[in-house]
Amino acid sequence: MALESGQSDVEPAKGSRFAFFRRNPLLFIVLLFLFLLVSTFLAVLVGTLGPIGPGEPEKISLSDAMYAILKLDGDYPAYYTAVFWDVRIPRVLLAGLVGAALACAGTAMQAIFRNPMADPFIIGVSSGAAVGAVSAGLIGLTTVVGAFTAPMLAFVSALVTVLVVYKMGTVRGKVYVDTLLLSGVAIAAFLGAIVSFLIFFARDDYHQLIPWLLGSFAVAKWSYVWILVLPVCFGVCLVFLFGRELNALLLGEETAHNLGADPEFLKKLMLTTAALVTAGAVAFTGIIGFVGLIVPHMMRILVGADHRALVPASILFGASFLIWADAISRTIIPGQELPVGIITALCGGPFFLYLLRRSRTSGSMS
Amino acid sequence: MRIDVSDLSFSFGVSRVLKNVSFTVGDGEFLGLMGPNGSGKTTLLRCLTRYLPADPKAVFVDMKPLHTLSDRQLATTFAVVPQSSSTDFPFTVREIVTMGRIPHAHSRILGSRAGDARLVSAAMVASGCDFLADRHFSELSGGERQRVVIARALAQEPKALLLDEPTVYLDISGQLEIMDLVKKLNKERSLTIVAVLHDINLAARYCDRIALLHQGRLEAIGPPSDVLTPETIQSVYGVDVAVRKDPFTHGIYVMPRSITTSARKNGARVHVLCGGGSGGPILRQLVEHGFSLSSGVLNVLDSDYECAVDLHIPVVAEVPFSQISDETNRGNLSMIDDSRAVVVSRFPVGPGNFKNLEAARYALDNGKKVFVISGLDLPSVDFIGGRADACLRGLINAGAVEVSSVDELTRQLGVELEALK
Repeated sequence: MALESGQSDVEPAKGSRFAFFRRNPLLFIVLLFLFLLVSTFLAVLVGTLGPIGPGEPEKISLSDAMYAILKLDGDYPAYYTAVFWDVRIPRVLLAGLVGAALACAGTAMQAIFRNPMADPFIIGVSSGAAVGAVSAGLIGLTTVVGAFTAPMLAFVSALVTVLVVYKMGTVRGKVYVDTLLLSGVAIAAFLGAIVSFLIFFARDDYHQLIPWLLGSFAVAKWSYVWILVLPVCFGVCLVFLFGRELNALLLGEETAHNLGADPEFLKKLMLTTAALVTAGAVAFTGIIGFVGLIVPHMMRILVGADHRALVPASILFGASFLIWADAISRTIIPGQELPVGIITALCGGPFFLYLLRRSRTSGSMS
Repeated sequence: MRIDVSDLSFSFGVSRVLKNVSFTVGDGEFLGLMGPNGSGKTTLLRCLTRYLPADPKAVFVDMKPLHTLSDRQLATTFAVVPQSSSTDFPFTVREIVTMGRIPHAHSRILGSRAGDARLVSAAMVASGCDFLADRHFSELSGGERQRVVIARALAQEPKALLLDEPTVYLDISGQLEIMDLVKKLNKERSLTIVAVLHDINLAARYCDRIALLHQGRLEAIGPPSDVLTPETIQSVYGVDVAVRKDPFTHGIYVMPRSITTSARKNGARVHVLCGGGSGGPILRQLVEHGFSLSSGVLNVLDSDYECAVDLHIPVVAEVPFSQISDETNRGNLSMIDDSRAVVVSRFPVGPGNFKNLEAARYALDNGKKVFVISGLDLPSVDFIGGRADACLRGLINAGAVEVSSVDELTRQLGVELEALK
């Protein structure tokens, strides 16, 4: 013991490289906010037509782009305004909203499950939504009834799945998070089999499903943005306002209770909020993995575990992260759009392994 | 703050964990909750903190029923220190302690209240963990963590501190440090303390009163010296103990002796002739192995005498510093008559107690098995010019069995008494 305490007297706290941000979380959040603004602006300029991008078949000049974005009169083709205002701007905003929603839901889930491996999809949202979206796609409802059918079906089936998982993990009104986690895994596996079955019979229609299954913002419309903006803002604010209580919950439910935070209420509120914003997000854009898992982790390394700082940081960075991932996905292969889920997983996978190694060697998960 | 518990019962399903428990904790009192595993101590604590839903009319804090308090009022009434705390998340010590301010927060949107930071620092200073403020909680030792958790409890500005075996995972210095700290807070801030404790001696040392729970019932409550008697401990824990007064602290301390109640081996008794401290180890070991014993002749102030009395061994006693009288000697011989075997320890022999050796001879002559702890080659304890050594040699020549150690004695006695069956 003497050795242990002697050691720890000398050794500074882990993550002290970033101690500056931990001491000044407000400054960090302001910086992230500025980063988000800059990212949004730059991402609007990114595209096949440029000004940032390959510029095929023609390249929009920066000044034309600025004129078009600001809708000023000028000497540029009329469709430039449409490129920015009907395609890129709603797309970037949607990416930002979904990124914020997923990162925030991920943070909340990790707190509820007291498990750094939890993500927004842990209670079956993604697998439930997949069944809805894939069925809708296969029956061909999209073309018959309208563009909102598939998202609606995905949203509803996601919520039904969450409800089933929730019921499985609840005994006499008390939520048991370990049971909840296992039910989520089991039901996700079950629904995954159904989705595979549907895909198997889809044969040639299979390709239409890929963008949704791997997540894509190609479908972005202003209407999607308007539908998502209020629930997402409301949800992330709710998570932020209960930040102190989430801190307490990470020390165990009994400790949370003893600190005046009602753990049952908190679990139910956070599960509902996270499920709703996640289901809303994936209904439109498909399953975008890793954002909800790694963004909270990255932010925890930078600002620490206190949710009063962690939640806003995750929301802002989650939005920026997905905006950049989308910008890369639509330009990295000229003339082709990659599903954004591929980009997030490409970045997320190696980073996750790094975290895993870090937690193995340092003993504490950041 | 005063806590009244009246007729509190609690069940998990069909198993009743607490049965009609009633007691009062006075303002500024240090109450220890004790009892064997599963006796309901932690459940009782959780009923106080409302983590378990107890009968609303059973618990009162300052005369107010517990259920009338809001969650936040409750968290400013009781602060809880659990057995141990851990988290996988990289909280710093200051962040952990700041959590104690949650029940005092006025607004969700604004951060902490003015003065929170000062209160948090003061709490860390009071519990001696201020130098750890920027360290990660997860990399602290057990004792350091308990200090941090106590600081968090203080930051709650509670009226009472509830501790659930706060020292159970700590080494002995850690245990004393934490208990000293709790006692200091109890004295200096007249903070009411209710602590579940497993270590009887720690409880006896720090608590004003002790409540002893057994199978969900309150078995006894009162000052340590009243509650921690060999009889109550035997009935609650099923352990045979000796209770002593500590000459330095004037507190009491409890020594466990044996968990086996003596299995009378065929009712056959062994008489031990000893004195001068030579008999203690023999008596203790034989009792632990279930032999039924008697002892004699011992002077009242002899440590062997105290040992025999402690072990509830019938003993033929002589007044202090006196020769063995004929009457006492007759008592001793009649004890030998009732015994199956006689053990002669290597006790210092003087004119006053030479009769004890003669008693051994008497036993041998009357067909008793006699065991002599060997050591004739050791420096003599004969104070009567060789007569004692000669007598011992005579015993061995006449058939007494010489054994080299207490272990061997135990073995041989076991064989001897087994043969009786």
